[in-house]
Formats: sequence, C-alpha cells, structure tokens
Amino acid sequence: MITLDRFFTDPILRGPTIGCMLMGFACAFVGVLAFVRKRSLLGETLSHASYPGVIVGILLSVFFQKEEGLSFFILIGGSLSAFLGFWLVDLLERKERITSDGSLCLVLVLFFGVGVLLASIVQSSHPHLYRQIQSYLYGQAATMGDSHIFFYAFFAAFVSLVVTIFYKEILALSFNREYAQAAGILSPWLNFLLFFLIVLAVIIGIRSVGVILMSAMLIAPPLAARQFTDKLSTLFLLSGIFGMGSGFLGNYFSLLFSDLFSQTGAHLSFPTGPMIVVVSAFLAALSLLFAPKKGLIICYCRMALFRIITIQENLLKTSWHLSEKGKNSLSLDQIGENYAFSRITLRVFLAILQIKGWICIKNKKYHLQPLGIKRGGRIIRLHRLWELYLVNSLGVGVDCVHKSAEEMEHILTPELEKQLTILLDNPKEDPHAQPIPDSEGMVV
Amino acid sequence: MKPAPGLKIHQLSVNYDKNPVLWDISLEVPAGKLVAIVGPNGAGKSTLMKSILGLIPPLSGKVSFSGLSLKEIRKKAAYIPQKESVDWDFPLTVFDLVLMGRFGRLGLFKRPSKQDREDVKKYLKMVNLEGFSHRQINQLSGGQKQRAFLARALIQEADFYFMDEPLAAIDVETSQAIIAILKHLRDQGKTIFVVLHDLEIVKEVFDWVILLNLRLVSCGPVSEVFTKEIIHKTYGKETLFLEEAAKLAEEKTRGYSLT
Repeated sequence: MITLDRFFTDPILRGPTIGCMLMGFACAFVGVLAFVRKRSLLGETLSHASYPGVIVGILLSVFFQKEEGLSFFILIGGSLSAFLGFWLVDLLERKERITSDGSLCLVLVLFFGVGVLLASIVQSSHPHLYRQIQSYLYGQAATMGDSHIFFYAFFAAFVSLVVTIFYKEILALSFNREYAQAAGILSPWLNFLLFFLIVLAVIIGIRSVGVILMSAMLIAPPLAARQFTDKLSTLFLLSGIFGMGSGFLGNYFSLLFSDLFSQTGAHLSFPTGPMIVVVSAFLAALSLLFAPKKGLIICYCRMALFRIITIQENLLKTSWHLSEKGKNSLSLDQIGENYAFSRITLRVFLAILQIKGWICIKNKKYHLQPLGIKRGGRIIRLHRLWELYLVNSLGVGVDCVHKSAEEMEHILTPELEKQLTILLDNPKEDPHAQPIPDSEGMVV
Repeated sequence: MKPAPGLKIHQLSVNYDKNPVLWDISLEVPAGKLVAIVGPNGAGKSTLMKSILGLIPPLSGKVSFSGLSLKEIRKKAAYIPQKESVDWDFPLTVFDLVLMGRFGRLGLFKRPSKQDREDVKKYLKMVNLEGFSHRQINQLSGGQKQRAFLARALIQEADFYFMDEPLAAIDVETSQAIIAILKHLRDQGKTIFVVLHDLEIVKEVFDWVILLNLRLVSCGPVSEVFTKEIIHKTYGKETLFLEEAAKLAEEKTRGYSLT
C-alpha cells in the first residue's frame, strides 16, 4: 500500500506530485480569467495553437544541445505560436466578422494540423525526437523532477501575485469591459497581461497534461468552484484548490491503479496527465450534481420535498374540510377519496401527519388534533387570501382563481401573508363568500 | 466671460463596427441640466453616449466637458450601460457591484478602504436596496437591478452621469424613485444624460432634450424644441431615406455589405 507522505518525500514521486499540484493550482487560477469572461474555449485553441511552436522549440533546443525537458526554446516557441494563433482569432472575429466559436475552431485545427504535419516530418528526419514531441501531445508528468517543482512554484506565486495586485481591475474588466473603460479602470496593457497569463498557463501546463487535454485544467476547476460561490475572489481561491487537488489525486490514482493491476499480474499503465484531467472533470461533475445551492441532485431533492409537503398539506386540508362539515372521525377511504394514491402510500403519508401531531388514530379512524386544525386553517387562509387577491387586485375572474390558489397555499410565506393581509385590509371572506380563517387558523 | 458649456460636441461623426452611424453632430448643453436623449430604434442614441465617453472611436470630431477633455474628467463621469450589455451570471454580489464604482477613483494598487465600504451601504440605502447587498446580481428583480447600477454610478460622486435606458422595463415605483434621485443630482449642479424610450416623461421631468436620428435633429430646452413638428421630424418616415443612404455610405467606406 502507498502511504500519502511518500508522494511528498520519495525522490521519484515528489517531482510529479508537487509539480502537478502547483501546475494545477496555477492553471485553475488563471482559468478563472477565461471562465468568467465566457471564453473558456480560448484555452483549448491556445494549447493546440502552441503545438507547432513547441515542435520547433524542441528542434532548436536539440540543435543548441540543451537538455531535454522544459527548455527555454520550447517555452518561447510555444508562446509565440500561441500568440500568433490568438492574433489570428482576433483578426477573424473583428475584421472578417466570423463568430467567436468559428474563429476559435478554425485556428485550432489550422495550427494543430500544421503541428501534426511537422511532427511526421520530424519522425522521419529525427526519429529519436519523435517520442519527445509525442509527449507534449498527452503530457508526461511522470518524468518531472525537483527542478520542475521550483519552476512551477515560481509560476504559481507569480500568477497569484498578479491576480491579487490587480484584483479590482480584473473584476471590473471581466464584468463589463465598457464600464471599466468608461471609468478609466482599464488600461490596454492590463488586458494584455491577463491574456499573457493564460498563454503562460497553457504553455507550462502542456508539459504535464499535454496539448490535447490542457484546456480541461483551465475549465473544469473554475466550473466546479463556480457552483459554490458568487464571489470572484472566492472563485479564484476555490478554483485553485480544486486544481491543486486534481493534481494530487491524479498522481495518487495513477500510481494506485497501476499498483492494483500489477498485483493481479496485468501490466496496465495509467498515465498521470490524463488521470489529472479525468479527476478534475469528475470534481466538476460532482459539483454540478451536489453543490448545496445549485447542484442538480440537491435541486431535485428540494423539488421532491416540496411535493411531499404539498401532499401532506393537501391531505390535512381534506381532513379539515371534512371535519368542518361535522365529520370528526374519518376513515382512510374518506380522506383518500380524491387522491390517486394506493392505500399503502396513503397510510405512509397519514403516518407522517400523525408524527407531526396533526392527526391521531383511534379505532382505525383518523381524528384531527388541535395542532392539525390550526395548521389546516392556516392553509385554507392562504388559499382564500390568494383567491381574494387575484380577484380584487388583479381582476381575475372568480371561476379561474382556484387552481392558482391550490399551488400558492403551499408557497406563501408568513411575510407575504402579512403583506397580503394589509393589502386586502384584513378580509373576512373570500370571493366565494366563504370565511377566511384568522392568522391562528381559526374560523371565527 | 460666459462659462464653458457642460458638454460641447463639435462635428462628431461615428462609423464603427455594428453600431449605428452618426453624422456630423454638433451641440452644446449647459452644465447642471437633466438631459434626455431620444430618437427611434437604431437612431444612434447609445452610440452617441458611447462615443462621448470614448468607448467607440469617432471618425472625426471633438468632445469637451466644461472646457476640459475626456481624459481630464474621466473620473468625474459615471456611466450606466444598457441592461442588455451586462453579464448577469457573473460571480458578483450587489455590494461588490456598487463598490466597483470606487475603483476608478482609487487607482492602481489601492484597496477599497473602510470608508468606501461604508459609502456602499449609504448609497445602497439611498436606492432602497439595503437588505440585498449579499445577493448575486441576477437574483434581483428588473427594477432592483437598475437601482443597483444607479448606486454604483452614485458612489462615483461624479459631475457627469451617462445612463443608457435606466428607465426601460421597470416598475412605476422604481422609475419614480430613480427620477427623484436624478432631480436631486441635477439640483446639486450635476449634468445628467439619459437615453430614453418613453417620450411621455420628457416634458414632465427633463430640462433639456437631444433629438437624434443618425444626425442631430434638434437640441435645446424641452419647452422650446420638444414640439410636435420636431418630434415628427425625428420619428417620421423621411428618415427612412436617410437610413438607406447611411447604410450605403457604410458599405462604400468599408468595402463590403453587411446584409
């Protein structure tokens, strides 16, 4: 079994682990810049656009006999080619009036196509370099060493610093460019600086996750973080943490799975780069499903809860109406007459009502309790207040208001009820000339 | 010597991107007026406002504010963009939106002070949004959204206010509240420009009016120039011809057709 601390102490493991965590943090941090401007696709295009530059960079660094890895030439080559790509996108959008997604796509395929062509040429002319070129396609985190840690730490510190220093400008500029310009907040070089950060993140990230998967590191963590916060500063921080977490878990699972499979005798490799990307996408998916405010599953749960409460309140209302008519002990069939529930479902719901103390069971008959009478009266009150409001204030026909009130009686809050009472001057009768119970739920 | 006019535009022409063109606009508005900018759809009302603020580069022409250039009064001009141009999903709370109004004045490297935060509360109170400061901006109703943006303009404590349709699609109560604040600003000597759709309130509320339809139709005190003939001239069908001509001019200068 692998212990967690090994990832930070083992000389072979710590390079990729800490390096990827720092890379994940920085890329996710920078990714927020593109994300909040709704330009996440830019990362995808830039990473692909950098590919031909990276290949030229590799050739140059071999020519000048530099060591393999993150050489100066690869950085410069990749950046230049990414900038060229962006310049083209900008040109297509502004001068040729091609839509943003169209220009981004076109530049992506154009540059990547050139890159792939270059790669095949190199494959036949310098076969020994082909492996290195390929490694930039899918990333090669496993070969990172201690020097990478320092490099990535510097980079992470740099982007955090820039974003912290220019936070207010970034906020204003990303939110509304025209406003920022009108208020004198925008300086053209700030816009350029932010774009430069994105290019830098892409170029540095492709070493570990590769050209093809790079953009995931820019998109997935901000997307996940966005589900939890409405504040830009928190979004930056949370996104960075998600990115860092993906970096670690990617390394962890990559090793864990390889270990597990090798124990069974199968030799499967789980490359770190793709694993990081999968983890970050998984985190984003989880956030979309389970975030407390907007998570899909959570929303479904809230909807289901509302339906259950509605059914309970409706059953209570039915009993209330029946006991209004003088029927104090009710049978299951009497209460369930208008509902399409099975007897078992009905019993379950009535059991809940019983737990809430609204009704009690004596000799297989249901009796309304004082708490239930009060509660039922309040629902009726909301129903009739709403009907009266629709008729008196909005001029809706008397015959058309029942259906809307059936829904609103479960929704109106005590504050809205107070407002309605004042608005309608504490009414005693609804449009059907039926009494409106008082705020204690009692019919006077 | 006569004081310099609040806003002076000299032969301004605009032909840029997808914005409507503007032809040779020259006008003067005295300081301390509540100014309505009216005209039909696509008449270039927003374009005029944006080019006054330097957001759209003009082909030619000059704009000055109380005798000063845009650069000199930049921090004294508050702008409320059109609702449609705002990204309502942006991770931004009402409080931070209003605080943003101070960023221009603060300049680089300075963080908002405690006083700035107190002022945010003050202006939120003024527009009746005290309880909403922690809401994301899209969780407000139409009227509340507009009041939040008004608060951001107010906190700039500017001399010139430019508001692009602040009264569009909001409830009567909000529009009355906004108008009351506009009048209050005017009484403090500020100059306020408001792009309007609703002609009815021009007479009731505004001092000065700019009638626009790709060219300047008229500019002057409401009592003098807001007449039936001039309104008809602004909105009448004679202008359709101008629109056609303008489109043609656009094609010729750009070398290709938009349609």
